[in-house]
Amino acid sequence: MWAAALAVAVLLALPAVLSGYAVTIFILIFFYAFLAQAWNVVGGYAGQLSAGHAAFVGVGGYTAALLFERGVTPWIGMFAGGALAAVLGAIIGYLGFRFGLRGFYFVLLTVAFAEICRILASNVEAVGGAVGLYITFTGNPRQFQFQDQRAYYYIALALMLLATGVTALIERRRFGIYLTAIREDETACEALGVDVLKYKLLAMIVSSFLAGLGGTFYAFQNFSLQPGAVFGIPLSVEIVIRPIIGGAGTLLGPILGSFILTPLGEVSRSYFGQSGLHGAHLIVYGVLLVAVVLFLPQGAYPYLRKLLSRRNIA
Amino acid sequence: MTSRLSRRTFLKTAVAGAAVVTTPVTLRAQAKTFKLGAVHPVTGPLAEPGQACRLGAQMAVEAVNAAGGIKSKGGVKLELVLGDTQTKTENGRVEAERVVTQGARMLMGSFDSGTTNGMVSVAQQRRVPFLVDIAAADQITANVAKSVAEGQQKVQYVYRNFPTGSSFGRKAVQYFGEIFAEAKVTPKRVVLMYCNDLFGQTQSRGFLAAYKAAKPAWTVLEDDVIAWPEPPSDLSTEVSRVKSLKPDVISPITRPASAQILLPEIRKQRLDILGIVGPGSPGFYEAGQIAILKDDVEYAMVSNPWANFKNPRTIQVAEEYKKRSNGKTFDTNSGYSYDAVHVIADVLERTASLDDPDAIVDAIKKTSFSSGLMQYAGPIHFNELGDNPNAVTTMTQILGQKPVAVWPREAALQKFVFPRPKA
Repeated sequence: MWAAALAVAVLLALPAVLSGYAVTIFILIFFYAFLAQAWNVVGGYAGQLSAGHAAFVGVGGYTAALLFERGVTPWIGMFAGGALAAVLGAIIGYLGFRFGLRGFYFVLLTVAFAEICRILASNVEAVGGAVGLYITFTGNPRQFQFQDQRAYYYIALALMLLATGVTALIERRRFGIYLTAIREDETACEALGVDVLKYKLLAMIVSSFLAGLGGTFYAFQNFSLQPGAVFGIPLSVEIVIRPIIGGAGTLLGPILGSFILTPLGEVSRSYFGQSGLHGAHLIVYGVLLVAVVLFLPQGAYPYLRKLLSRRNIA
Repeated sequence: MTSRLSRRTFLKTAVAGAAVVTTPVTLRAQAKTFKLGAVHPVTGPLAEPGQACRLGAQMAVEAVNAAGGIKSKGGVKLELVLGDTQTKTENGRVEAERVVTQGARMLMGSFDSGTTNGMVSVAQQRRVPFLVDIAAADQITANVAKSVAEGQQKVQYVYRNFPTGSSFGRKAVQYFGEIFAEAKVTPKRVVLMYCNDLFGQTQSRGFLAAYKAAKPAWTVLEDDVIAWPEPPSDLSTEVSRVKSLKPDVISPITRPASAQILLPEIRKQRLDILGIVGPGSPGFYEAGQIAILKDDVEYAMVSNPWANFKNPRTIQVAEEYKKRSNGKTFDTNSGYSYDAVHVIADVLERTASLDDPDAIVDAIKKTSFSSGLMQYAGPIHFNELGDNPNAVTTMTQILGQKPVAVWPREAALQKFVFPRPKA
């Protein structure tokens, strides 16, 4: 516990000594850790592999941005976006879980859902079509915009802590135990009288609501939303890959995954991106990724925990 | 014992890491060169144009430095700090932050409008003047101008030397009208076709809006605009629909892949038309495309940003570019990035101080630069939105299997051939 408190204290103090670029990297780490944690609830704990989580981010972002154009502050739009994402999550979850789609079939359903969102957003003029939405930079905090980059740092940190707090709560309650049981053996769980559909749906709703909140942050930090970028498969992969590397279904796995992957991507890009070898950084990134998957198949966090506990015993 | 040691090692590493992360800030003030952040999509789906932009910028920096750097400031040399967005929207702002942290005092970039808008926020937040070399969405500069007009931002740090999305459409409609008038024809059935993606939608929307506003004598069949999913596997049904509309002129907005399917299909279905005149898109003029399409693309016209090959310096730079890019054409991307660096060098010559971003902005606002290699309607300057109204497109036509500038008259190297000769 004291370690967690210390870590948070360090993270709170960090912006005072960091350069603008380093702050940006931390924002990315926190933000993707947040999205990864949101995914972790349904994908990690409940074992329902959603490969279309970008759609919830997109729905949340578009909702807040469109409401903003109509004069609603993103501070409210954020929750409207989260709520709409949760409703969509419930619908997708219901369709998938009610009809017993498991494994690959659920993956396909979620991918298809994200693709439908992308195609709709690309073709409906009212939401900007393929051009997307461009948000005017004002630097006004009431409009979820900040002249100082560090404000985004603290919001992203807060989001990450929020999602981790929610996940910790779930983990410690019966809800969390049910989810793990569903992941390990759904049929046995059902035979014991657990309302599998209800708990999977709840996990989906929590997860999509959180991802929806993240959409507003994305929109008002990047100042533009393009259908391909926010609903596309690459963003979904970015979200899923962090818990996989860090350890899916563990509380700190997504955070650890984000702390490993985001700087890795950045360092390799700024190191090799300057050279004439276009794309060398992507190869390095890919090789390191393969190495992690090969040598730490359970994810980095379980390995780290094992390492630490072994030491304590010794 | 081991745990104490490792904690020490950890602390050492952490301190060293923190030093690396924080040092660039202190290095900023004492630079003898002027660092310019050039952010483009050098990898990912837009890698090809992104690399063209980067090479264009590098060649221009070499040219400026070879000519003595920024002479009024004691020959300060330009130095590029390169950034790669990987064609990902969120990397626009990340890379802008990085190059600024590494000492960039101005920014240029970044080809696609989404990442460019991300860079805008960094420019405004950190007061770094930003010259957009390529990116067409009108909102990029207009939004900042609006924010300044409403008093939410004090200074506009974002300017653009590239045709805006809406000006693409306006110029195309203007050139269509002028060419038709010159050829003494008034087509009553112009059929617009487009690839249904970000680019195609923007271009077709801009073209139709400009057409409606201009109310020209010639007529677009507005109710029969035909779109195809990009990339298409087959366009025979689309072309037969066009054929049933009995068009005078076909006006396609293509991507290279769809142009390779569309143009042969138009030949196969033997459409009796005055010609193919595009409002602006790739697919018609690239060396590789012409080699594949051969006669099918002969006489096709398209309105695009184009280099001014009447200028001997353009020919010289294009030759060098060809050598250094393994035979590529000096085009929109390399050309506008090349010009951006020269505009920046001109701004730095005139600015009162290299260290004051607001002085640089003042110099940008007073720009009147006529040595660009692209085709302009007049000297490069920036209007109240921060755009260069003289950044215009040129109508090119494939004549003798080569793209040739044919309109406006002052840019034309040859007279256009329209209506096209009957086969």
